[in-house]
Order: sequence, then C-alpha cells, then structure tokens
Amino acid sequence: MAAPLELSCWGGGWGLPSIHSESLVVMAYAKFSGAPLKVNVIDNTWRGSRGDVPILTTEDNIVSQPAKILNFLRKQKYNADYELSAKQGADTLAYIALLEEKLLPAVLHTFWVESENYFSVTKPWFASRIPFPLSLILPGRMSKGALTRILLTRGQPPLYHLREVEAQIYRDAKECLNLLSNRLGTSQFFFGDTPSTLDAYVFGFLAPLYKVRFPKVQLQEHLKQLSNLCRFCDDILNSYFRLTLGDG
Amino acid sequence: MSLVAEALVSQIAATEPWPENATLYQQLKGEQILLSDNAASLAVQAFLQMCNLPIKVVCRANAEYMSPSGKVPFIHVGNQVVSELGPIVQFVKAKGHSLSDGLDEVQKAEMKAYMELVNNMLLTAELYLQWCDEATVGEITHARYGSPYPWPLNHILAYQKQWEVKRKMKAIGWGNKTLDQVLEDVDQCCQALSQRLGTQPYFFNKQPTELDALVFGHLYTILTTQLTNDELSEKVKNYSNLLAFCRRIEQHFFEDRGKGSSSIRLS
Repeated sequence: MAAPLELSCWGGGWGLPSIHSESLVVMAYAKFSGAPLKVNVIDNTWRGSRGDVPILTTEDNIVSQPAKILNFLRKQKYNADYELSAKQGADTLAYIALLEEKLLPAVLHTFWVESENYFSVTKPWFASRIPFPLSLILPGRMSKGALTRILLTRGQPPLYHLREVEAQIYRDAKECLNLLSNRLGTSQFFFGDTPSTLDAYVFGFLAPLYKVRFPKVQLQEHLKQLSNLCRFCDDILNSYFRLTLGDG
Repeated sequence: MSLVAEALVSQIAATEPWPENATLYQQLKGEQILLSDNAASLAVQAFLQMCNLPIKVVCRANAEYMSPSGKVPFIHVGNQVVSELGPIVQFVKAKGHSLSDGLDEVQKAEMKAYMELVNNMLLTAELYLQWCDEATVGEITHARYGSPYPWPLNHILAYQKQWEVKRKMKAIGWGNKTLDQVLEDVDQCCQALSQRLGTQPYFFNKQPTELDALVFGHLYTILTTQLTNDELSEKVKNYSNLLAFCRRIEQHFFEDRGKGSSSIRLS
C-alpha cells in the first residue's frame, strides 16, 4: 500500500479530468475509494506507451484494462463497494454489462466513427497529444478499431453494413440511458449515499458524452433531457474533481 | 432491420393470432449443433413454453444460413421469420403475449441488465470455449460443425467460422484471455445470478420472465453437454439454487407438458 500508484491515461478537456471513458472510470473509482493515484497525462513526449491506456504502474506490477485495474485496487484494500449487499454487487455486474453492450457502441460511434465528429473534434484532440509521426497513424487506428468493434458485435454477417447498424445502436443507447435514469431516480448515487463501482462506470461512460462539444449531437441531446443523469455527472465533477474549466 | 420495416412487421404481427403450425428451426440435434446455439434455441423454446404458445422444433443442417440474421434459432410463424431471442420476444409481444408486463420500470431495467450480463459473459465464454480453446476445437467443434457437409467443405466452413469468432473475441478484448480467466468470469457471472435469484422460485418472484428463459437455456445446456472436461459445468454446479432453478423449469415447462426435450438428470 505504500508503493506509489501511477496511472497513465489520456488527458482532459471541456471540464473533465479525462475525455477517455476507460481512463475516467479508473480515475473516478480511485477518488471514490480513496486510492492515492498519481496521474500521468499522456502528452506530446515520447515517454510512456499509448497502447493499452489506461495503465496502472506500481513498483512491481503493470496492470491494464479498467476491470483488472479496479480488481487490483480492491486487493490493495481500496474498495468502494464494501457497503454493498450481495444482491447490489450482482446488480453492479449486470448494469456494467448493460453499459458495455448497449451504450458503448453508440459512444464509440459518436467519438470515432461519425465523420464530422471524428475529423473536427476527436482526431485533432488526440493528434495534438501524440508526437509526430505517430499522430498520423494512431488516431486512424483507434478509429478503425472502434468501427470494427461496432460491426463485429452488432453487424449482420456476411456483409457488415454500417447504415443498418447505426439506427439500431443509437436506439439501444437511448433506451439504455432511459433505463439508467429510471434506476437512478432521485438518489444521489446508484446505491444510496456513497458512490461505488457502478457509479464510476456510469460516470466514465456518460461524462464525455455529456461535456464534449460535438457537431453531431443526437445522443447528447437525449442525455441532456434526462436531468437526473446530468445532475449525477455534475455532482461527481464538483465533489471529486474540482478543476478549472476550459482546459484544452 | 430499419425502423420502418420493423414497425411494419409489428403491425402485421398484431393482426394475426398465433397459428398452430409455428416452427422453430435449429441445427441437427445429435451431430451438428454446438453448445452456444443449443443454449439459444433452448432459451427460445423455454420462453415460448412459458407463454403457452405451441411450437414445433425442426432440425435442419443449414439452419444458420436460412436465418435472416445468420443466427439460430429462428421461428417461422405465419408468413414471417424472426430470429434471436430479443426480436422474438418483441414479436410475441406484438401478438399480445408478454411475460414482463407486470414489472415496473426499475424491474424492467434490472431484467434487461441481467439479460445483457448473460449475453456478455456466459454466451461469450461459451463461444470462447468452443472456438478458441484448442482442445475443444480439435476434439469436438470442428467435427460437429462440419458434419453434414462433404470434404473439403466441412473443413473450410469450420475454419471460416473459427476465424470469424476469433476476430470478434479480439475486438471485444477477450483475445488475450486464458481459459482460466474465462472460467473465472463464468464463475463471477453465476455468482451474480445466484445472488440475484436468492431463494425465490424465479428471478422476479412468482412469475417467470424472458430472463428466466435465457438463464435456463444457458445453464441447462452447460450442465448437460459433454465437453472435453467438466470445468464449465462444475462452475455452475457450485450454486445449488441455480441447479434447483433449472430443475424447476425443466419439470414445470418441459416434462409436464409431455414435451420430452431430453430430460437428462441433473446430477
């Protein structure tokens, strides 16, 4: 526990500590569980890998992927879930699966596949934080990866067409947002008064969607109509991430 | 399907009652069908039994290719063809039968979340075991998948399917997982299901819903399918309330109706 924990992740903007969903999930969980995390934001220098971000480094270990990082933090006694009952723990897993299946494709699409958004916002943002000449290659590769993931999990074989899938994934995402809003109701967090893993995941997926300014915004519009989810994101930002705005 | 086409299908569906000759198509039961497809097919059969809708199961070697979405099972009702549990539930709802109408909004959200959990973890683990674990692939999957076809088609189709599944695994981040990690995920999923079920007869207390059908389909198939080793079914057997749950649904919806869908003893 005395070993310093360092997290490499993508940086922030538009009032968020990070605009990358997975990095944000880990940062939020660390704040909720009280883990002392030193955040290394990836910038223009060559130092640090960009492959599997976010990455947690300690003296002896390197852990990647949010689920594994959260497990590691729990083993180090930084547990945000100890007050949850068994059923609530089970619900957490189920809702995370719901987020990954229904919401994530649309978030990936909004950020990486929708051409107006990608070329005017996402690509310049990421390219400015990656040193030349990698800045020419890496954003394209991330975009390709997002498209492949969407098509392989939602497309119909043998001809994977994006058009047919687009309408469906946005519909699923809106339904997912509605379900989350219904579940949250008027509580401050999903399981009572203290935030837990599920809150970290929901915050990580929703906050970039909520805050980043995109030209093509249909999902953002829908989210803004669900006022309890917006209040949820703002509360977490104000209580746990007091940063100056207009950062990036 | 596009939104307009789907609305049209719902309209048409609503006008006709459920016919007597509705059929469900799946692959050949004895020699061809694989674990994941069997689970999906059983889930749909269980769902239709729970809704009290008659269905006849027909086995065809090319069921996968007949299906409009490429996935089995699919049902042929009147002059419409619908595949996969999600669309089938909606189709049945348009005809006026639903198992989840009595749930409130929060419960419906929970039900959908748990169904995604099963799809996300159990189904993906089944696919991983079938297509990415070399032992199972060599001994069982390759032989079964290509069995109705002559050489060399049987090998080509099997390799093609394996390549497709491996691509998908890589895209969702399961490409680097070891078998042990996959089994741990299965255990986590079963633990969550067991905790949610508790001591209730069904997931939403007295009445079964599509979630019960889906969970039954997967767990029953895992428990009763012979694989190269028993690790997968051992994970499920650790949870006695899940075993009781499967037994209860099997007794109530399959044996009692006289439809013996291989009522194998759950040991």
